[in-house]
Amino acid sequence: MELKFYIESGIIESFVLGLASDEEVAELQHMRKLYPELDTEVEFVERRLERAAFDEPAMPPVEIRDRVLQKIRWEQGHAYSDPSSNYTFINIQPKDGDHITVHRWWKVFFIIFFIMSKVFLFLAIFYYLKYRLSQEQRSDNLHQMIRQEQTQSPLL
Amino acid sequence: MLIERLVIGDPAAKELLYDRYAGALYGIVLQLVPVKERADEVIVKVFFWAFHHIAAFQTSGHRTLFAWLLRKTREFAIKEALPETALTGKELMKQEEGVLQQFYMILPADQQQVFRLSYFKGLSITTIARLLALPEEQINDILKDAMKSFRQFLKETWN
Repeated sequence: MELKFYIESGIIESFVLGLASDEEVAELQHMRKLYPELDTEVEFVERRLERAAFDEPAMPPVEIRDRVLQKIRWEQGHAYSDPSSNYTFINIQPKDGDHITVHRWWKVFFIIFFIMSKVFLFLAIFYYLKYRLSQEQRSDNLHQMIRQEQTQSPLL
Repeated sequence: MLIERLVIGDPAAKELLYDRYAGALYGIVLQLVPVKERADEVIVKVFFWAFHHIAAFQTSGHRTLFAWLLRKTREFAIKEALPETALTGKELMKQEEGVLQQFYMILPADQQQVFRLSYFKGLSITTIARLLALPEEQINDILKDAMKSFRQFLKETWN
């Protein structure tokens, strides 16, 4: 009778919803040891709440599922990697066929490659302009020399 | 069994856990956090947490994975919830639907107030007592009455 009164007090519902105080939870756990039938009652309440929630589900957006599952795949990839290896990888998205996994050093390599390509491009433009300038100066000098020769030749 | 497979880290079991419970939990989250982006974040956090702490289920005192997940969902949802003053009304999606909201609507005014502050806002009995300028014992009694009503509500509707 006392147990029935205890169950009817709503303590199990309070525990299931996370509203029971620490003392109430400790008391419930103690009572569950004394009366194992309370375990069945906890399960009944949880199943009722589960049925109620399943009656009105709202599916989260697909991208949420992708985010959660991507994390699982990523962790799985790590779990099966060689733990003794010193390599560090940037895991982009393994095992879906559209993405690749590359070594961290590729990132450094591409940054250096990008910077060097810019430096070489700058030098190429710089020396091209310098070359054109020297060509123009040379042609100006040549024209000057020809003009000088032409101005001197009538005197001869 | 699903729990054993989860404990050993079986990825297919993790997928199954998500597919089985994400919809039901999301329905509850939208009652607690009526902002879609924040509700999405709660679901991601709950499942990441569950995958890493599945061994704790055995000692949690819960008998079903759903109840265990729901408890953590509420904890994360309360952390993600915006203060009511920050809500514009446009983001409210499932405020009038769902099992918890339906139950809330049938409660008398005093139980509604205490249940809302306790379950939806995550406030302690002491804080609620201070907010409502009532003795803690009275708040405790009101919450107990609400839990009795919740027991009846569940038994009558989903027995």
